[in-house]
Amino acid sequence: MKRAPIPPREPRVSSYSVDPALIRKRGAQLDGICSLEIRDLFPDQPEVIYPSSKGIAAVREETLRQMSRVDLSRIKPGDSVNVLGSRHGFTLLGGEPYAEMLRAIRDAVTERTGCRRVNLRMGQGLRYREGEEYIRAFKLDSCFSNAIAIAPIDKGIPIPTEIGTLYGISKAYDADWIIHTHNSDVREIHFHRMVDRAVKPFGMSYARLETRSGYHQNLGPRAANFIARAIFDSDFVQSKYVCSAFLMVAPAGIVAVDCDNDLYALNDRVVVAGMKYYGKVVTILGSIDSCIAMLDFPAPVPYVFAGGLIYGNFLGAGHDLFDIEKPLPSYTFYTEAYYGRGERHLTSRIPGINPALKMTIHNYAMIGYPSEFFAAKVPTVVVGREQADLFRHDPQSTGYMNHALVADDLATAAEFARRVTGTDKLLIFDGAAGGFNVSEPLADYLLKVAPEVSRKVDEELLPRWLRQRGMEASVLAAWRTRKYPQAA
Amino acid sequence: MRIVNTVPVLDESKCIGCVICSSVCPTLAWSVDRKTKLAVLDEPRCFGCVNCESRCPTYAIKMVARREDRFLYVDPRLVDYAEVEALCRKARFHPEQVVCFCTSSRAEEIAAAILTGSRTPEEISARTGIRSGCTIECSQPLLRMLEAAGIPHRPALGGKGWQIYGRVPTAWEIPESVKKKYADRGFHFDQDIALMEEVIAAPAEPPADASAGHSPIRRLPEAAPETLDFTASNGTSPAGSRQQ
Ligand code: SF4
Ligand code: SF4
Repeated sequence: MKRAPIPPREPRVSSYSVDPALIRKRGAQLDGICSLEIRDLFPDQPEVIYPSSKGIAAVREETLRQMSRVDLSRIKPGDSVNVLGSRHGFTLLGGEPYAEMLRAIRDAVTERTGCRRVNLRMGQGLRYREGEEYIRAFKLDSCFSNAIAIAPIDKGIPIPTEIGTLYGISKAYDADWIIHTHNSDVREIHFHRMVDRAVKPFGMSYARLETRSGYHQNLGPRAANFIARAIFDSDFVQSKYVCSAFLMVAPAGIVAVDCDNDLYALNDRVVVAGMKYYGKVVTILGSIDSCIAMLDFPAPVPYVFAGGLIYGNFLGAGHDLFDIEKPLPSYTFYTEAYYGRGERHLTSRIPGINPALKMTIHNYAMIGYPSEFFAAKVPTVVVGREQADLFRHDPQSTGYMNHALVADDLATAAEFARRVTGTDKLLIFDGAAGGFNVSEPLADYLLKVAPEVSRKVDEELLPRWLRQRGMEASVLAAWRTRKYPQAA
Repeated sequence: MRIVNTVPVLDESKCIGCVICSSVCPTLAWSVDRKTKLAVLDEPRCFGCVNCESRCPTYAIKMVARREDRFLYVDPRLVDYAEVEALCRKARFHPEQVVCFCTSSRAEEIAAAILTGSRTPEEISARTGIRSGCTIECSQPLLRMLEAAGIPHRPALGGKGWQIYGRVPTAWEIPESVKKKYADRGFHFDQDIALMEEVIAAPAEPPADASAGHSPIRRLPEAAPETLDFTASNGTSPAGSRQQ
């Protein structure tokens, strides 16, 4: 059923984006835009605890309930604990669910162990002030003993592992104990390929630049995430590790909080749930024959969301992103690396960009991520001279505007894109909660094909994806009932 | 190629002399004066990466637009391309492989910088602009190329800097026992090695002109080529400033 547009995520005040006042019109305000709820397309999506009538209290309640099941006996009253987080938790549903989970974890630790030195260490992507922007915005500095953002360029610590020395960020590990907190959002499928997805922050958010570069340049596209496992399994990390807590997310919202001392057991639930619930969204978007994408969300270019998926995934959505027999997705740093001069492919294994993606309208996105690839590969129109200027001065994307055109306003850009591409299917990446904002012709198409996509994922694709990773769908039973193995 | 269009300015009243800016600067452009305890910028070294601005604990540094842009690029045609190719392949890169995603720089440019005299990641960065964006993802290619050239890595500032500590393992160094142990978890170690070796072995062509080292529609601005210092060999000052 087609509905009125869902309100898009509000623009955010940040040193990485233009002044929100300059985002004069949102894609959802254009004529002919409607919304589809994910559950209208795929009725088997799980029930969500947030958003719900209980509000944010549901996240707190669930976190405290699940934290009560984990063993915290290693933590003594005089000890110190670092709660390790990652800033992209704040990009989910406005950030409050992740912030509330962090606050509740802190309360649970203090209450159950008597430990009062509970710190927050917020891992970041490639924007080294962003973590503190979120810490301030959600007042986490007043909740933790010491709350700081950590960056891969900060002082490091060598970590001996079974594959050699890797490097972590010193301040991530400057407490007696660590608690790993994250979310199950599939996000960068192109990087982790749903292999050890829940372990990844040990090779990324909490890792120094050497480790992160090794991930993206030394191991290969499907072996990369082993870096994270090597660090997590190291004697050093194991000597500090207590438990993990994950905000469990599906395209429709927050489904649960999953806490476990066994990160690998939790990982299996995260991976299976991710493939089951996001697999249908990525598959249906990959079936579109022709469309225009619109970036309209406070995140860097590849990280803007539609239906719970990021634009970086949509670039490769014409191919099966979860199929790890295929070595390269359409976008990943390894793929980008293998385009030689004059677009020559240095390997026959590059799948090419999703051919359905005819043009991208960049209405609102943030700097601070190497984004030239996206404008070089997809015809791009940037809305507003201020935004174009911001990108021109972004040291990570100084080449972005060499490939993109500028339009003065959104309506002009949209009309230009429609005329040049000849398609009236528009998909808006604006973080609309629980669904998509799309043009009516695209809504009609998605409603028509959803039942067949659902069948195909359940009967053909999901069994293959699970087999490739040595996993069983049955691990999800715990996720659905929120009764995890350690509680049995 | 890197277009440098911003530069840091210091608010001395906020500086506490903590040396964090000099610890995170990829080109060693900051130092802290022993007497005044204030940070001092050697501006020609700066390539506008914003690390100092992002990590200064007192917000004493602010990036501003430069009056004139600078362009950093080391042309691989300055040296025998066979040597460039040999060095890249020894380090297990294809010469045309993109190694810095912020500047779209290719492995051949690092090779050319090394073959014309650069001996450290900081020197290569200052001349090529590589590591001037996120400053992290290209750090391993820099070390692998230096290692292939037989140049040992010593962390900057006598080991006190946080620039780059060291090389981390490559796929070729993963022990067989590890590969076997995790064979059913989807890591595909040997298949990824085969993919990377296919890339490394692909034929390479030297760039046809100064701008062709980059993506096809990225061009050097018309006024720039004569300002590029293609012969810089000591690597201690960035090539190609139009401002100096
Ligand atoms: S990081 Fe900031 S406070 Fe510290 S020395 Fe540099 S300018 Fe001064
Ligand atoms: S190169 Fe980067 S860290 Fe160094 S002075 Fe310039 S902007 Fe600051």
